[in-house]
Amino acid sequence: MRDKKGGIQFSFAWIFAIIAGVVILGLAIYFVTQFSEKSKLEINVKNAVSIGVLTNPVESSFESAKRYTITTKAETRIYTECNSQETVTSSFGKQIIRTAEKTYNQWSEDQMTDMEFQNKYIFSKDRVEGKIFYVFSKPFKMPFKIADLIYLTSARDLYCFVNPPDDIEDEIEDLIGNEETRSESQNFYLTNRKRECPQESTSICFKRTDSGCDVYVSDNYVQKSSGRMYYEGDALMYAAIFSDKEEYECQVKRLMNRAKKLFEIYQDKSEFVFKKTRCNSGTDIELMQMISLLGGYQSSQDLEIINVLAQDIQDKQDNQYRNTEECRLW
Amino acid sequence: MVKTRKFKRGQMKIQQMSFMLIAVFLFFALVGMIVLSFMLGNIRESATTLKEQNAKLLVSRMASSPELWCGEVYGREKTDCIDLDKAMALKANIREYSEFWKISSLEIQKIYPKAIPNKITECTVANYPNCNMITLINKKDSYDVSNYVALCRKEVYNNKVVNTCELGKITVGYEGVE
Repeated sequence: MRDKKGGIQFSFAWIFAIIAGVVILGLAIYFVTQFSEKSKLEINVKNAVSIGVLTNPVESSFESAKRYTITTKAETRIYTECNSQETVTSSFGKQIIRTAEKTYNQWSEDQMTDMEFQNKYIFSKDRVEGKIFYVFSKPFKMPFKIADLIYLTSARDLYCFVNPPDDIEDEIEDLIGNEETRSESQNFYLTNRKRECPQESTSICFKRTDSGCDVYVSDNYVQKSSGRMYYEGDALMYAAIFSDKEEYECQVKRLMNRAKKLFEIYQDKSEFVFKKTRCNSGTDIELMQMISLLGGYQSSQDLEIINVLAQDIQDKQDNQYRNTEECRLW
Repeated sequence: MVKTRKFKRGQMKIQQMSFMLIAVFLFFALVGMIVLSFMLGNIRESATTLKEQNAKLLVSRMASSPELWCGEVYGREKTDCIDLDKAMALKANIREYSEFWKISSLEIQKIYPKAIPNKITECTVANYPNCNMITLINKKDSYDVSNYVALCRKEVYNNKVVNTCELGKITVGYEGVE
């Protein structure tokens, strides 16, 4: 390799081998990087779909306030987003789920893909992070069941319920479980005073007398730093507690769109059953009023008036068929 | 003469090396392709498994969906009970639900009492309830999973409105990934 004068001399064969070697190595590194990016994308997509699939058993007609645990292999971030935009073919909007895994101390957020579900309503912070996630659901009724609402929290996010009403306290106790079933990484706490809450927990107070709370729950609204969210029923109260205002409003809009569609189905059913059996539900005018009211839904402030009409329809049906289910619509 | 011989030996070496490099390159490319096809096979398999898992979980709770569930129409709340009258109303409104459950087919079939003659008759407003099949979604040929359910409806019997419940099955279809 050295010439007579002591300089380094490369033969063509060496130069060729070095260039070819660099090209091969370069290509190998490129393909390995691409492959690793694709693998991360695949894992993220698989996780997002799995979360959608795993929330299926949580939704049912009877089971509620039972908590399920989702455990991931690696540190995971779950992003939930709501899209209430109506399309030509559908008015149900979309629940979007994205996940990112932490690999080699880096989040694979560039490799996230939107997984869309029209039939899911997940309420959580816009980003939850950890390895253990808790999921529970409650049916949202107005006056019949509209959908199951899913609440998703990370074991790392602590929630402290301060002095809640008895029914909420019982429900939270059921979710926490007894000593045998209680999870080690518990994230729900029940206390009588705000100062008894664990540090760094989100305090949820049910009385205005407790000061310095992160969330205040009143009879028909939940007050948070992100704004005031109006609710009707416990299912929407939990929804407002666990999500941000923007997401809450979007999901309630989606729920109202589904309620409108269900009322239209009940209107058609009423007509269909009447033609077949002469069985009159006696609620046709109220159904029409409700469809029109839901069509003009703007924000959660409208929930109160919608709930009043829903209750009227339910009362009318209950009074008409007090001891019989003869012509009940739902 | 000497120069020419040297040149030939050099040429030979370069040729040997380039053949070797090409062989090494092809070898790695081949291995890469095999690994890639194996991984793609795995992705397809896991995508189909996820779809299958989704369909299985979905079919087990489909009867509890507000669009089909009996509620308190036929007495106390029941699990796995489909309100056939509501299913017929849903059939008329099914266009909006085509992507709702992310499934490729959804059918409700009456299995007992058996239809006489034993053939499948699709339900329409005209022939209901003298029929045994309600096809709500039918997009593509697909794999399917079923669940047994009670099919209830209102009927007039001796001038009285009565509840009639029969045995049926609900079938959810999903597409495999090819």
